[in-house]
Amino acid sequence: MAEMKYKTEKLKCWDEVKNIRMDYYKNYTEAHDKGGLRWAGGAWTLDAVPAGLGEDVYPITSEPYGASIAFDKQLSLECLEAAEKAGWARDLCAYMRNYWGSIILDKFAFNYKEGEFGPRFRGGDAIGFPKPDFLWQDHICCSHAKWYQIVSELEKGIPMFCVDVGVGPYTEITDNRVKYVVDQLKDGIEWMEKVTKRDYDDELLIKAVYNHCRATSKWAEVCALNKNIPAPLDEKSMYSLYVLGTLHKASQRVADFYEKILLPEVKDRVKRGIAAVGNEQCRVMSDTQPPWAFLKVFRYLEQYGCVSIGSLYTFGLIGMWEEKEDGSWGPKTMPQDQGIELTNRDEALDYYVRWELNKPEWQHFYSPQLKSEMMIRIAKEWKLNGIMLHYNRGCEGLSLGIAENRLALLKAGFPVMTFEGNMGDEREFDEAGTTTRMDAFMETLGVKR
Amino acid sequence: MITAGVDCGAKNTKVVILKDGNIVSKSTVLSGFDQKSAAQEAFSEALSQANLGKEDVVHITATGAGKKEVDFANNTVTEVGADAKGTNKLFPSVRTIIDVGAEEGRAIKSDGSGKVIDFAINEKCAAGAGSFTESMARALEVKVEDLGDLSLKSTKEIQMNAQCAVFAESEVVTLVHAKTPKEDMAKAVHDAIASRITSMVRKIGVENDVALIGGVAKNKGFVKSLKDDLGVELKMPEDPEYVTALGAAIVASERAGGA
Amino acid sequence: MIEMFKEWYENRHEYAKHWKEKTGGKVMGYFCTYVPEEILYAANILPVRILGSHEPQEVTEPHIFAMYCPFCRDCLAQGLKGRYDYLDGTMIAQSCLHVRQSFTSWQLHIPTAYSYYLPMPNHVQSPRAVDFLKGELERFKESIEEWTGKEITDEDLARGIEIVNKNRRLMKQVYELRKKEKPPLTGLEAMYMVVSSQMVDKEEHNRILVEALKELETRDIGREVGQRLMIIGSEDDDSAFISMVESLGATFVVDDHCTGTRYFWNEVEPKEDKLNAIAERYIKRPACPSKDWPERTRLPHILSLAKDYSVSGAILIQQKFCDPHELDIPAINKYLKENGIPSLFLEFDVTVPIGQFRIRTEAFLEMLSEEDLF
Repeated sequence: MAEMKYKTEKLKCWDEVKNIRMDYYKNYTEAHDKGGLRWAGGAWTLDAVPAGLGEDVYPITSEPYGASIAFDKQLSLECLEAAEKAGWARDLCAYMRNYWGSIILDKFAFNYKEGEFGPRFRGGDAIGFPKPDFLWQDHICCSHAKWYQIVSELEKGIPMFCVDVGVGPYTEITDNRVKYVVDQLKDGIEWMEKVTKRDYDDELLIKAVYNHCRATSKWAEVCALNKNIPAPLDEKSMYSLYVLGTLHKASQRVADFYEKILLPEVKDRVKRGIAAVGNEQCRVMSDTQPPWAFLKVFRYLEQYGCVSIGSLYTFGLIGMWEEKEDGSWGPKTMPQDQGIELTNRDEALDYYVRWELNKPEWQHFYSPQLKSEMMIRIAKEWKLNGIMLHYNRGCEGLSLGIAENRLALLKAGFPVMTFEGNMGDEREFDEAGTTTRMDAFMETLGVKR
Repeated sequence: MITAGVDCGAKNTKVVILKDGNIVSKSTVLSGFDQKSAAQEAFSEALSQANLGKEDVVHITATGAGKKEVDFANNTVTEVGADAKGTNKLFPSVRTIIDVGAEEGRAIKSDGSGKVIDFAINEKCAAGAGSFTESMARALEVKVEDLGDLSLKSTKEIQMNAQCAVFAESEVVTLVHAKTPKEDMAKAVHDAIASRITSMVRKIGVENDVALIGGVAKNKGFVKSLKDDLGVELKMPEDPEYVTALGAAIVASERAGGA
Repeated sequence: MIEMFKEWYENRHEYAKHWKEKTGGKVMGYFCTYVPEEILYAANILPVRILGSHEPQEVTEPHIFAMYCPFCRDCLAQGLKGRYDYLDGTMIAQSCLHVRQSFTSWQLHIPTAYSYYLPMPNHVQSPRAVDFLKGELERFKESIEEWTGKEITDEDLARGIEIVNKNRRLMKQVYELRKKEKPPLTGLEAMYMVVSSQMVDKEEHNRILVEALKELETRDIGREVGQRLMIIGSEDDDSAFISMVESLGATFVVDDHCTGTRYFWNEVEPKEDKLNAIAERYIKRPACPSKDWPERTRLPHILSLAKDYSVSGAILIQQKFCDPHELDIPAINKYLKENGIPSLFLEFDVTVPIGQFRIRTEAFLEMLSEEDLF
């Protein structure tokens, strides 16, 4: 074990993180009891838009839910097999297959134990998948719209609306491209009014857009603090933190958490020199979703004093970034700080769409080079010794172009290790093989245990 | 100074004993289910060949898939690191190392000192070049050691898609039904494996000189297919299956302070 | 005449090089059939679809992770091997992620003077899609004008539309003949016709098609028709597979492939606003599964084809790892079954395990003929 050099401390906000996540699934589950609404859609989705239907409207986002299942190995295996039995190919998106399996079997990954809501694997009384009232999806990869097309079929016709955001990279954004997305959102609002029989409140939309911008900017600010040596956060913890953004980034609670609880605590850790990994002597980053059932591989690296400081995935799926005056990467300035006031639906949607299309973990859909440039920037600014790329068989969208990223990183002078796996299908992960690779990679970097 | 390297592989366990940098003995034992005793047995055999006792060996380094089973070793090194060290000793000019074993294929880029710069290990679908040739030999009803010579007789190009071993096996069955001569099928099998290995090597880039090590390097048919595919000359040690163990033994002397 | 199409297909590179020499024009390699060829023809550019060669290869591993479809890797391999070295430009219209990687890796490693990503809408069922696409076609047209240094006039567009429309009309006439009790051409021959139309100058293709149509009036394929099959799925120019099936005495009479009907089925409807008319055509064409949502428009379309062509069974075939088709095939399979059409599912790779597929196809054909008895 490499020598301890820094103090470490558990995050104080840990309980709040757990509470937010559990309350999120609980609120979704119990929405109907209080006359509220439930909707389901992707984590990428423009979730500020359904917020205009009222304050008692609760989402369940599909990818984090699929990951929750993946984390529950027993349930995941049942779900994957159920999806396969229903005829779906094994190489399709693993979150999607977990999610479909959960519907086909009508088994929810959460339940009550002695009246308390929590994950199913701790026991208790099983409950079925609480049906959403409508589906609000975005189409980012080949599977996204089709995911819910099939959910709608499995659930016998739950109404679905899906927004196509495929308008090219942000570097080539035009008014025509923004307008296409905005126009679909407008159609979507009218559609939601029809299927929910509720009036839409633009004030709530505007509030949610502000929250969305705040949550994503503040998360980026948290990630930027990891430029410090020692890193105050390691990627394994970041997964538990960033996930809140994938659940409900347009909500007041998540935005408040990032701004008022997490950010001050991480700043304080930096000030006091608190490390995530006390024996930090080597810094790497990863890429794409991790194999959720095997997060222990990150612990394995810690024996080498190796800390994964994050990834473009954790930084850039939830965080929004911009180049600062000194040329470094930092949090994108929020509309509230730019003196921009959103006063009506049109303005709110236009601003919102431009904000979202600028998402870092989106640009690679158009060119691996755009992603490589951001990764090289992280490697330099976050002072990395190497990069581990997870060739993720579970996600066609985020593994897109990953081989080209590898070549570009090598060319820029950074050592790269690749390992194959699957974020949501543990049958495709070779743990022993992966730790062997990690050993060899550490040897290459000259890092000793 | 006397050191030993133990390479506990998926199929065989190999031991090399070094005395002041020279190989004094080597041995091989089937790994089987009990890797621990296989390693012990191979080590004892190597010792007795060299007329040495356990106490004469100052440092033992284990490597290979079962390296953690070698409980008498002082420490371990990864197969990638051992390959680079071993090859560097035999061929200092080599920059690209290809190791094809029973269950795993590796490509390693190394500098002039035996340090690893980049490496690639075959992914699941392309696993088991060694075992694959064995099962193909069975399907063709020839001895695995005859497969190489057999395929050298063929001049025909039959394209086979060996991305997946199961798929490839069914392709062989098709060829059998089509009454394809055995030598052509043997060549098709070697071409297919060589193509997968080449793919992997291209990932790290081919820089001269290139060495081929690992048990499958003894198969002449495969070597020819790989040469043709890569379009480069291959440096081949006399005992390709011992290079990894040799590397481990070198690491052992370095760690014992006698490098 | 019929043999001409196969010759073109097999000598696609020689054809394009010769065309360049002869005309001095530019050649555009494209990756997906959502590319608006009308605009390219209007600019006197020859559009050539980039396809694979069905040979195992070992050059794409550093560029495309193995979980993506064999087709996208086969396409890129052609570029890396220099077989398309005559291209002046490359472009793609947004469709699946798999083939998009062939394009982006091509941009990085086989750069051409011109390169364009056309964000073809995925939400073709949205009322906003036509307007958006029209805007994108304007932008694309300007980009081509800038590259060639020549304005594309309304007359040019009209000419481009007419060349491509005529090809579609003629191909539809050919397909009309396949409805006959004794189709005058095999599935393999039809495949060569469509795929070659994606590679050669359509004006020349049209001329040969006109003559071929005359020939087809009295042509006989020289054997029994056997089971009338439909083939449904992803990109398919696997001649080895098609001819194997037909060698077993069956005949493909219709398809739903982007190397078949999806490519030519509908025409540009004439309109004052030419770009709007083109946009509408691509939005309304038979959908690729990646764009077939939220409604499944492919199901009724496939069924009507099956009925119109008196199909007795369908082969569902997709490129291995093709997500869009994997997301449709279970639904299609179920739908066909409900409508009394048996189907066989198979997966393409760069090469197919022909023996294995033969056994399955034989069993399937046997099953179909037993159904005929009862």
